[in-house]
Amino acid sequence: MGIRRYLQHWFTGRGPYLQPSEFVPESHPMRLWADTFPWEAMVQAVEHSFAQRFPTQRPIGGRPPVSPRVLLALELLKHEVGESDEDVCHRLRTDVAMMYACGLHEVAADRAQAHFVLPETLAQFRSRLDQELMEALVAIQAAAAMEEGLVSPAHLLVDTFPSEQGSQRVTDATTLYKAQKKAYNSSSGSRGSLLSPRPH
Amino acid sequence: MRSFGRQCRGQGKVFVTLVRQTERQLLDLGGSIENWAQDAKELLHHDTHLREIQRERLRRDLEAASDAHRHIAKQSQRLTQGKKLAQCKIVNAYDPTIAPIMKGKSNCPAQFGRKTGLLSEPASGFIFAHRVPHGNPSDPSYVLPMLDKVQQAIDLVASPQRLRVHSLGGDLGVNDAALRHALHGRGILTVGIPTTVEPMNPTPSQQEVRAILNASGLHRIRTPHQVHLACASGYSRPVVESHIASLLSSRGAGHVRYKGLEGAAVQLAMTVMAHNGAALVRIRQQRLSKRAQKFRRLLGLRRHKVNKVNDSKT
Repeated sequence: MGIRRYLQHWFTGRGPYLQPSEFVPESHPMRLWADTFPWEAMVQAVEHSFAQRFPTQRPIGGRPPVSPRVLLALELLKHEVGESDEDVCHRLRTDVAMMYACGLHEVAADRAQAHFVLPETLAQFRSRLDQELMEALVAIQAAAAMEEGLVSPAHLLVDTFPSEQGSQRVTDATTLYKAQKKAYNSSSGSRGSLLSPRPH
Repeated sequence: MRSFGRQCRGQGKVFVTLVRQTERQLLDLGGSIENWAQDAKELLHHDTHLREIQRERLRRDLEAASDAHRHIAKQSQRLTQGKKLAQCKIVNAYDPTIAPIMKGKSNCPAQFGRKTGLLSEPASGFIFAHRVPHGNPSDPSYVLPMLDKVQQAIDLVASPQRLRVHSLGGDLGVNDAALRHALHGRGILTVGIPTTVEPMNPTPSQQEVRAILNASGLHRIRTPHQVHLACASGYSRPVVESHIASLLSSRGAGHVRYKGLEGAAVQLAMTVMAHNGAALVRIRQQRLSKRAQKFRRLLGLRRHKVNKVNDSKT
């Protein structure tokens, strides 16, 4: 099943062609949001950074890679809609507005194809991003907004805010704690059902 | 049995003797790690089966593990000797870049995590730069690196001559004499950084404006109009809290889910870019507050033409 899932990875469907740009209305919030990004410059920055840091040559043949444009847009959409990797990749398969935001001009999928992009691919892409590249992407976005005359850096405000680091690690202690909690909940639930009054 | 910390932060009772004994055992157990690391390095150096990239990666991992052990061992030795720990102690063995955030109310526990800095526009909430530093540095140390990032963004614009940072506002946390001096050196007004808890005057008189310009030494560099705008911008500093609230509540920036400092930087940058996208949509559709619209008019920012349905009267 795992191998098959990997093979159904990219746009290999034989279904009818769908053009997201023709389908999604121009006033759709996700379309408006996606149109604010300077995608070309951002994708160029990503490709340049990857080429410098991961210069290995791809073998000839095999499955074509997923475009950085799609993966970058998915990662941004994940933070815009507040969903997990799994959810956002699943939504890309069914949500036409999300296809537009990911820059897919034509899509041909059949119903047997479960995913366009696997969550594992998104996680792999994310592991290649670094702090320098992210700063460059934020600068590109700010430069495009300034170029368009939408924002000005004349008067700025600075502030800080705390973020909790919440990467949970599965350890023996956490597993034991969860098991104890589950056992306690199930025992209290069963006790509750025994003590509950019988209907007359 | 003794208790650590302040009573208002919970019970905090710890079996000190037990903790010290355990720490000693762990120190003994990890004592030979340095020797093992040296042996491993030598073996790696003489190995011919591995490629250079793999060897470099393994050497880097080995260095990181040795450094982490050295850091943890130093902290453990202080604990067993009963010496006070420094503020930036290790709270996560897997990630030494995490530090307690000693910021907030006295009756709240210190959080373990990151302190992100933002540099944003007061009118629309567009974030020009952000910073996720190593550990928990002071607030003034955030400002100059973030201003450098803004300058990098300005340099990317085709005609950057007319784009300059005129003023910077902040809260009492960034009130630092050295920082003010550095900002004045860059030609940036610091009237938006308060020196007391008293609210700022958004409309200074001509004498006050002249005094501000003389005090900062920017008499020939900044105009009275720019001082007025800087005062208005600094007065509206609480607006930044609403930008932060939107990052925290709707985009989950208050909880870093990705691992390590790199992960935190990636997550927060993505959050900032998503937020900026939404801010640009609001600007294009002119869905801004009246105060923000007025501020944008004063800054001379052009209005984006929106195709209105009412225009088509056919």
